[in-house]
Amino acid sequence: MEEKLTQRSVWEKISNKLSKRSLWMLHYCTGCGAIELPPTMTARFDMERFGISPMVTPRQADILLITGYLSVKTLKRVVLTYEQMQAPKYVVGFGSCTINGGMYWNSYSTMKCLDQYLPVETYIAGCMPRPEAIIASFNDLIAKIDRGEANSWKDYYKNYDFYKANQDRTFEGPIETYNDIKADAAMFNIK
Amino acid sequence: MNTVLWIIFLPIIIFIIGVFMLGYSRKFIARIERRYGPPVQQVFYDIFKLMNKKTNISHGWMHDISILMLLGGTLLTLYFVPVPGFHFFAQYGDVLVIMYVLLVPALGMALGVGETANPNGSIGISRALMMLAGYDIPFFLTFIGMAMLNNTTSMYDLINIQQAGGFLGWGLLTNPLLGVAALIALQGMLGEKPFEVMVAPHEIATGPMTEMGGKYLGIMMIQHAIAVVVELTIYINLFLGGALNWFEYIIKLFVLFTVLLSVNAVFGRFRTDDAVRFMWRIPLPMAVIGVLFIIF
Repeated sequence: MEEKLTQRSVWEKISNKLSKRSLWMLHYCTGCGAIELPPTMTARFDMERFGISPMVTPRQADILLITGYLSVKTLKRVVLTYEQMQAPKYVVGFGSCTINGGMYWNSYSTMKCLDQYLPVETYIAGCMPRPEAIIASFNDLIAKIDRGEANSWKDYYKNYDFYKANQDRTFEGPIETYNDIKADAAMFNIK
Repeated sequence: MNTVLWIIFLPIIIFIIGVFMLGYSRKFIARIERRYGPPVQQVFYDIFKLMNKKTNISHGWMHDISILMLLGGTLLTLYFVPVPGFHFFAQYGDVLVIMYVLLVPALGMALGVGETANPNGSIGISRALMMLAGYDIPFFLTFIGMAMLNNTTSMYDLINIQQAGGFLGWGLLTNPLLGVAALIALQGMLGEKPFEVMVAPHEIATGPMTEMGGKYLGIMMIQHAIAVVVELTIYINLFLGGALNWFEYIIKLFVLFTVLLSVNAVFGRFRTDDAVRFMWRIPLPMAVIGVLFIIF
């Protein structure tokens, strides 16, 4: 049964091979880690070699890169942004703050674990990670897409109740979102 | 039979050329910025990924139709422009028809973006129509000037007249004022910098494309790839003597595109009002003087 779940058709293998070469990144930069992105994009480390380029709207983007800590207010915006993105979509947590709170462990207003609220595909550890680490983790993500294992976005559709409960507990009540996740999952036949 | 085959395969051939030209443009600009740049086939990967998205948001039926109108308008223009070996429709539609159908894609986009109700999209469309008023008047004046100079409105005849005169018969050399005016207008038409006011990613989040995702953006990228080749072909047919075979045609496309890209790579972006003012101050008087030379 487990084997059947990971089995891919020939078309899926081809489409994974081609899709991994084009990843558009929406960077949500409220934390300090944003300073490491310009060298990653420009002449020294040139991210566009791998087909990764920055995009400006959630509708067009494939990767949601979250640099640094999220407070209650900014998490709300990130959830709204994430739900507007078109699947397949990958969340990349950048820096220690998204993994366990990092240096903001004792803060009253920051989120400690990003993967309680959104399905995270890859984490980049470090405070802050250098451009080499960012490129290495994007290469990991590319290899994961090639193997057909980058399916965390399906989690959000399948386990929406879990994520929604965590979000509601943090926001102290349901927030108004523009997407009906369960209806979308049924409409686009995501299993 | 031959014509039917051309009608079916011409958009595919032009699309492939367009994809590689856009890939070449990204590589070219990357090398100027001292980057390594993406592979030349990168645009193909982008389009494949977009068409392969699992979810697609539609904002209503006008949104769906407008995307088809955008692609259809561009294909219509493509058929009326003579390319080497195929000028079946060019004998029915002349320069004046091309002038009209060139406007269809912009209007299609305006309808669809209006339905998405995104403020960035509306700003982008208003800027696109402003720029249209800027570059279209000089560009159409050069159309009219070339038609009056050669006493024909058929683009196919224009190519033959220029080819008969050899290298010195090219429109750019017989009437340099019109040629340069059209070159500047072409830069605005392609939306290259410094006239990139419609897309402007850092200001208005790619303007009309803000709400487009997945297959919608994929079709827009296909349309863009075809439109770039079509607009360059119009310039080549009017001012660079057209082309007799595909080898010459592709060489001319890449040389002309490289000239435009070199300007694109070193300029910033004009403000919308500055861009339109520039278009009305430099290329428009040039085109008017060029036409007056032909009349008197």
